[in-house]
Amino acid sequence: MSKALEQMHEIEPHVQVGRARVGVLMFVLSDAVSVVAIMAAGGYLSTLNVTGQFNAGVHAPAFLPGLLVAIVLVLSGLAYYGWERGVRKHGSAGQPIWFVLSGVLMLVALGGQVWIGMNLGYVAPFHAYASIILLLTWYSAVHLLLTVLVGILLSGRIIRGRLIGHGYIAEVVGYWWYYTVISYLLMWIFVVLFT
Amino acid sequence: MTETKHTNLIRTLFPSAVSGVVLGVIGAIITGMIVYAFVGDNNQDAVIVAGYTGWVIFFFIGIGAFNGVWKWGFARHDATSAEELQLAGKDQGFWRYFRFTTDHKVVGMQYLATVLVLFFVGSLGAFMIRLEQSRPGAIFFTPSTYNTIVGMHGILMIAATIIMVSGPFGNFVLPIMIGARDMAFPRLNALSFWLLFSALPIFFSTLFLGGFPTGWTGYAPLAVQELTPGMDAYCFMIIVFAMSITVAALNIVATVMVLRTKGMTWGRLPIFVWGVLLSVFLGLIAFPSFLISQIMVLMDRVFQTSFFIASFGGSSWLYEHMFWFMGHPEVYVIALPAMAVAAEVTSVFARKPLFGYRLLIGGLVSICVLSVLVWGHHLYTSGSSPALDGPYMLDTEIISIPTGLFFLGIVGTLWRGKIWVTLPLLFVGGMLVNFVIGGITGIYLADLPTDEILHGGMFVTAHFHFTLVGSMVFGFLAGFYYWFPKMVGRRLNPLLGRLHFWLFEIGFLGTFTALFYAGLQGEPRWSANVAPPYATANLIASLFAILIAASVFVLVYNVVVTLVRGEVALANEWGAKTLEWTVPTPVPLENFEQLPVITSLPYDYGSPASLPDTGVVEVVEVIDIPLPAETQIQPES
Repeated sequence: MSKALEQMHEIEPHVQVGRARVGVLMFVLSDAVSVVAIMAAGGYLSTLNVTGQFNAGVHAPAFLPGLLVAIVLVLSGLAYYGWERGVRKHGSAGQPIWFVLSGVLMLVALGGQVWIGMNLGYVAPFHAYASIILLLTWYSAVHLLLTVLVGILLSGRIIRGRLIGHGYIAEVVGYWWYYTVISYLLMWIFVVLFT
Repeated sequence: MTETKHTNLIRTLFPSAVSGVVLGVIGAIITGMIVYAFVGDNNQDAVIVAGYTGWVIFFFIGIGAFNGVWKWGFARHDATSAEELQLAGKDQGFWRYFRFTTDHKVVGMQYLATVLVLFFVGSLGAFMIRLEQSRPGAIFFTPSTYNTIVGMHGILMIAATIIMVSGPFGNFVLPIMIGARDMAFPRLNALSFWLLFSALPIFFSTLFLGGFPTGWTGYAPLAVQELTPGMDAYCFMIIVFAMSITVAALNIVATVMVLRTKGMTWGRLPIFVWGVLLSVFLGLIAFPSFLISQIMVLMDRVFQTSFFIASFGGSSWLYEHMFWFMGHPEVYVIALPAMAVAAEVTSVFARKPLFGYRLLIGGLVSICVLSVLVWGHHLYTSGSSPALDGPYMLDTEIISIPTGLFFLGIVGTLWRGKIWVTLPLLFVGGMLVNFVIGGITGIYLADLPTDEILHGGMFVTAHFHFTLVGSMVFGFLAGFYYWFPKMVGRRLNPLLGRLHFWLFEIGFLGTFTALFYAGLQGEPRWSANVAPPYATANLIASLFAILIAASVFVLVYNVVVTLVRGEVALANEWGAKTLEWTVPTPVPLENFEQLPVITSLPYDYGSPASLPDTGVVEVVEVIDIPLPAETQIQPES
């Protein structure tokens, strides 16, 4: 392998940081539009209320489980922020306990969200209101699953000591982490107000 | 010795597209069987969708897409440059085109080959349509088969046109144009292509699953009520395709934002880069709505939800809104890069600076913004509130202003230029002619009173073919003839190219002008059988379509012959000034020996500031490339 070619291939650190930021933010933007599309669909069907069929009635999801997941997620976000701040400040792997805590909380939230999805109590064929709630519930669950997977990969880098000198990774994963929390809160509030 | 050969063969095949396909098929069968074990014969759609999911996941395992992800997290060290170069296909010859190769030039070529194949297959569908419509009554196909052919032709061509410029040229040319060594995320680049690739077998599987009767729009509730599982193929293909578009888009945006070389400011970006950037950004905003709509359709079909079923509180209008929120910006996702290609090519062959460079960028940005506000004009006649008609009509009219300005810029560039009538410029000329017709006829469809009469008829079909094919595909072909020598290293036969152009242009004008007439007479779209009053117009359209068919075969012949024994192209075939023409052909793996420094726009033809000794493009080995005699300024013909 030509040494010169290898040197050409090296990517400058500021470029690594820049591309990671833009890449994650663009992904967040695209996903945020998806979330807006789902909520707009719900609002639209609610407004149309075709043949008076669109109503929550007794089908509104239970308030408390959603609230608990939301609280757990906010705590996860805060724990992640605590860890990320340490990474940025000290340029090392920070205090892993915060990262572990944020990951565990995210996992708990995922478990909670799956539980909520399994216990909505709807029966097929699902009417339009139930359809929107099902989609929001499982779309959120996919978000949480993705964040857990990212967390597992990141934990691998921490264990291998490969985060040192790459603090921007903690930062850009943070973008997605916080977005997951915020989008969940928005969807949950939407569901609550929708009722 | 035999063992070594055996080992090499295994290393060659695993991972590659071969192992991806093998594992994907196995994965599809296994996941389908598992779901079948749970649902039995009661939910055919669930089995099909599980099979598709298995295909995609296991295809990507087989092609090695997840290796890098795993290593990113758990390897002992980050990938070295040597490993990255290996992944970029270094010293892997032709086989690198069948692997998860990250080199942007390989991905660009993969896209180009795919686009050409899709166009060819889509054209076959078009010829079948014209054949069936050449005489009144049923000739070859049942109405259901005809509908499937029309739908497949439509969605295949739309998919191909969405990627036709940003895929091949956005990947191959764009990074070099901005002075980068590769895309920002080479792995995502490969992922975007192979996602597209994995969507194709899904799409074509509809042929074995009963097809889909909805046409390219996949309108609900028909999409939900359709009993054959062919509809699942459509929905799943769209989901995978939208993912591919999203991945490609964020990659291109990141590339342009972060990897521009020193001096390549926003005000010095080639217009082509602006066109692609805005197009993919628009796609990033527009496609999620379509993706979600297809998830909803699949949920309605598989899980018995009711997003689009009125008896349970759903609404087909919801689908129309979600579809057209993507569907109209999508026209501009196609148009922006094709228009930008036209501007790029015009400046080169008029040997003049681009007229109103900033105005053109302003035009592109305005189109981008306005295009997400006009989708309601597709719902004029669907019963939506009349209060919305006025604003949507106004938006639609307003968008013609920046579009018109852009084409004015192209004409302004040609004005008093030293015009060198090459094939790319010929296609730009065709594009201008066709766009005038496509644009003017669009006004009648934008205005509610005339749209009430013309909607749902052949007039609409003719109009959007004039804009999408006559204008945008011509723009793609301008780019194709322009960049082919750089991408492939060989020169297409110009005589055959001109034959291709004239057959296509004459055939196109004849076919779709006749369909305008049929539309004005009142012929509806989506009718498998032509009624006697429209027979003459349809016969004329079908006869002219023979010319288009001939033009396609001329193009195919030209490409094949050029690949086999075409003349070797020069590094700077056209004497152009953008950076891709400053690197050798074939382009080296890392594009530039030294990254260039830019000090001005790449369109300063004839200006003293553009003389080499002023160092407009300060890349020594680039500036010194002698231009061939035939690329010197030609007298205006």
